[in-house]
Amino acid sequence: MSDQSVQIGSLKLKNPVIAASGTFGFGAEYADLYDVSRLGAVCTKGLTLRPREGNPSPRLWETPCGLLNSIGLQNPGIDAFLQQELPRMKAQEIVTVANVWGERPTEYVEIVERLSESAVDAIELNLSCPNVPGEMLGQQAKAAGQVVKEVRKVSKKPLWVKLPPNVRLEVAQAVEEEGANAVCASNTFRAMAIDIETGKPVFGRVFAGLSGPAIRPIALRIVYELVDVLDIPVVGIGGITTWQDAVAFIMAGATAVQVGTANFIDPWSAIRIVEGLEEFMRHRRHSNWEEIRGCAH
Amino acid sequence: MDGLAVRTAPVLTNGEVAPGVFHLTVCGSFPAKPAQFYMLRAWELDPLLARPMSVFERTEEQISFLYEVRGRGTELLSRLKSRDVLSLFGPLGNGWERSPGRVALIGGGCGIAPLLQTAKTFREVDLYLGFREKPFLVEAFDQAAIQLVVTSETGDGARKGVVTDGFDPVDYEACYACGPHGMLKTLAQICNTAGVPLFVSLEERMACGIGACLGCAVKTTNGVRRVCLDGPVFRAAEVIWDV
Repeated sequence: MSDQSVQIGSLKLKNPVIAASGTFGFGAEYADLYDVSRLGAVCTKGLTLRPREGNPSPRLWETPCGLLNSIGLQNPGIDAFLQQELPRMKAQEIVTVANVWGERPTEYVEIVERLSESAVDAIELNLSCPNVPGEMLGQQAKAAGQVVKEVRKVSKKPLWVKLPPNVRLEVAQAVEEEGANAVCASNTFRAMAIDIETGKPVFGRVFAGLSGPAIRPIALRIVYELVDVLDIPVVGIGGITTWQDAVAFIMAGATAVQVGTANFIDPWSAIRIVEGLEEFMRHRRHSNWEEIRGCAH
Repeated sequence: MDGLAVRTAPVLTNGEVAPGVFHLTVCGSFPAKPAQFYMLRAWELDPLLARPMSVFERTEEQISFLYEVRGRGTELLSRLKSRDVLSLFGPLGNGWERSPGRVALIGGGCGIAPLLQTAKTFREVDLYLGFREKPFLVEAFDQAAIQLVVTSETGDGARKGVVTDGFDPVDYEACYACGPHGMLKTLAQICNTAGVPLFVSLEERMACGIGACLGCAVKTTNGVRRVCLDGPVFRAAEVIWDV
């Protein structure tokens, strides 16, 4: 009998497949299609202190094997999440990771304070959204470490930090030092498109986030590098579309993986990856993920 | 769990009915309420996403779609031949319901797509179809309408003008429209002035089709809403047309 479970700090997931923030809402849309509690966890849409309307249209643009998005953190705000979405997610026994974004460092603390007494299973600090104004905290080791330090003071919840792509390794080391339980690498790549008819950028905010299979080999390299310098778990994310992709990230050393844009290609992607991994383990007669984790190093 | 599924099915026909406009017929029984849509895909990962398409016509044996070639996805769709296989995910969206009494359906260009099934389901409707150039597929509507008014901006094979020219909603209990943004906006003003409810089926770039990605946002008086799940049908009075 093979054991699919993985351990991220104090949190045990039944399998290593997590739905990525911003691609899965609060699980409700997919719950109409399959039993979402079969996933290792679900990362919520990025939550902010107050509701956000998000960016104007267009918000999407396809590129070869990739997708540019400029949603701009449209979400109902932390209060509506706690009152409406979280109870529903927990009623469905979904392991819930609250993804949070703050306009300022103090906002992260405020949001996490409210979450710390809630039923969320973990908190993912989004230090890397490319579609909102302001400096990306995840670019600077000092700033990123400081946020984690302050947040750590107000919550005992497992704390994950979602890093920007091409992150400098010292940023990851800084958040580890300040008490992060895991890093998620990585968020979408800052990118853009130009409409050659108008001669202007496609997106109102000029830059957008690139995701999908197009970025997967880079995301894999980032995970591989982070695993070498960190002791805390690395959650791999970036273009993972099939169970084979997930296996490659685990072999690079990822403890778990997040499935994002693939949910848009096929809404059953995440659960198919769970099933594919079970079959892989059975076929290869592995009893747990430790047997292959990081074997590519 | 509520019957939503991705199904594959063979193509029956895929003919060019006007320059760059194709009518794709697929074999199989696919449910759809008027103005619901399917996500169509006939490729692997490039393009990455499926293409949302309104249902043109359906029977127990087949379903058809009407689309204009605009980019790589629709270009690939246009190359499908008989017996090629494509995948369909749906039916998606809310669709629209018939109001009692006299109703008008107004379509512009490929926006006529949802109106045929609507006319056949609603019964006893007046139809107003507008085209940029020569009209296409209007013969399919012949039996479906009490009155059929066809216009063309070039005057080619139809009354010259745009579909909103002289359109008077006052005799109708409700109007239903699909087409370019400008046409819908004009209709919204006309119907608002006349005090007649107008329902519009909107189009927007979509990724997931089920309400998760928030890509197909539209601004309304009830906040930002999703064309795929909260729509594609909205009350014209709730849509904020100038953004």
